[in-house]
Amino acid sequence: MPTIEIADLTKRYGDVVANDAVTFDVESGEIFGYLGPNGAGKTTTIRLLLGLITPTSGTAEVLGADIRDRRALTEAKASIGYLPDTLGFEERLTGRQALDYFARMRGDERRDELLELFPPPLEKPIETYSAGNRRMLGIVQAFMHDPDLAILDEPTSGLDPLKQDRMHAFLEEERDAGKTIFFSSHVLSEVQRVCDRVGIIREGKLVALEEIDDLLQRSGKQVRVQLAESVEEDGFVTPEMIDVETVDATVRFTYTGESADLLEHLVQYEVEDVDIGDPQLDDIFKHYYGDEPAEAG
Amino acid sequence: MTAILRVESRKLVRGTAILTGLLVMLSAFFFVVFPSIQEEAELFEEVYPEYLLDLLGIEELHTIEGFVGGYIFPFIWILLAGIYFAYVSAGMISQDVRARRMDLLLANPISRESVVLQKVAALWVPLVSLTTGMVAVLLAGATVLGEPIDPVSLAIVHLLGIPYLLVCAGIGILLSAVVDRVETAQATALVLVFAFWLVDGLSHMNPDFEWVGELTPSRYYDPSAILVHEEYALLDAGILLVAFLVLVSTAVLVFVRGDI
Repeated sequence: MPTIEIADLTKRYGDVVANDAVTFDVESGEIFGYLGPNGAGKTTTIRLLLGLITPTSGTAEVLGADIRDRRALTEAKASIGYLPDTLGFEERLTGRQALDYFARMRGDERRDELLELFPPPLEKPIETYSAGNRRMLGIVQAFMHDPDLAILDEPTSGLDPLKQDRMHAFLEEERDAGKTIFFSSHVLSEVQRVCDRVGIIREGKLVALEEIDDLLQRSGKQVRVQLAESVEEDGFVTPEMIDVETVDATVRFTYTGESADLLEHLVQYEVEDVDIGDPQLDDIFKHYYGDEPAEAG
Repeated sequence: MTAILRVESRKLVRGTAILTGLLVMLSAFFFVVFPSIQEEAELFEEVYPEYLLDLLGIEELHTIEGFVGGYIFPFIWILLAGIYFAYVSAGMISQDVRARRMDLLLANPISRESVVLQKVAALWVPLVSLTTGMVAVLLAGATVLGEPIDPVSLAIVHLLGIPYLLVCAGIGILLSAVVDRVETAQATALVLVFAFWLVDGLSHMNPDFEWVGELTPSRYYDPSAILVHEEYALLDAGILLVAFLVLVSTAVLVFVRGDI
């Protein structure tokens, strides 16, 4: 049985459709990435799943509990960990007091182990915390009761790169231990790194649901090549290059093939500098899911 | 399942300490002026038009009971403490929703009903502190002035004053659940309690409109009657308790159904 089953989940605010008939499952024991630009409706779906807001129509089951059944959902929350995008702690409490507070409601058998990986300054009041420290405290509270399902909304925002890597490794360990992770992000590379499957949401609609490998093939790389002197586009451009823009001796394009092939191709030219990066999410949408979603306009 | 109660109680400690200190000091000032008021009490009662005395609920001003019941309690307990309870309660839900604390809180296996009830229960902190502070300053003041005050009446006037404050809290918590904006909820609560106090007083002045005062909570709590006449209106206190329960239940209903 899937850990999360979402069926036609819709949430309207007046004329605005924040979630439009969203339907997908999150299987037990996978890391599911929920990808979309800011404002696409990721947080709305998450808050619907937690019963913080009620659906206009459609429903979902989380750990077997229908989200419209408040009592069942409340019970299920003992096995859910939640890391919100905006962390609203009791600011006057110290980190330790805040964890004690949550521990009284749902336990904290893994607190010490988590604090070794993500150590915020526990004795200081939370109002003095940096964004990174708040995020670490949020991670500890989300996992300290050893939940079967973790729902994470932009979990690495504010973390330094070292802690981000640590978080990714931690999530993989949790998955291997049989836990289910629902992970929302607007950063494609992050989702590519850790997720097994990905759902892409745009303007409230689920536009794609795929295995991560398929997404990787589709996404391509953002490349900027600085050549010693300007070249003829016709000879330089290969079929794998799309969206080519040439300004003087600088060529920008999205490369959809293998990185090795690209490097082999480039060594034929006098290259001064190469920059290969992850594409922007918007670019992926533009190329693979149509420029305009059906709703827009 | 008292985690929320504990934290909410702790959050109220600071404000409660300040409020109690302030109201105790105000009461002490009242006592300082009592001897001079006592001397001129008869003149007072002659000079002031009757409606003004009614408005303030003043009777038997020359006695310590009349003074405490007619001066100190209407002002300190009914008006100021009432406003505090309404104001604080009006922030209890709306502030947590605004600061997104409610998201984290409701991610716990805790029902929304329990969240509201534990928050309301945390009002034991100001209730106990205020009662203790007021009893202490009233006993001390009466002793210093050499005007003994009946301890039973003193206990009753506080005891029956609690349902009144709870109704003010009920008004606040309902606004907190209904109104999204914290500032609006708190300002409305404050203005409402003040308006109720004023309407209750003014409605005495015109027999045609006296019934309007029956809609105000302070009509059901008469410190003068308790202290001067030893009339303990238990039924009125019961009405206030029922009103409190209705207000809190409505707040729970609204909060349970609403979006956060």
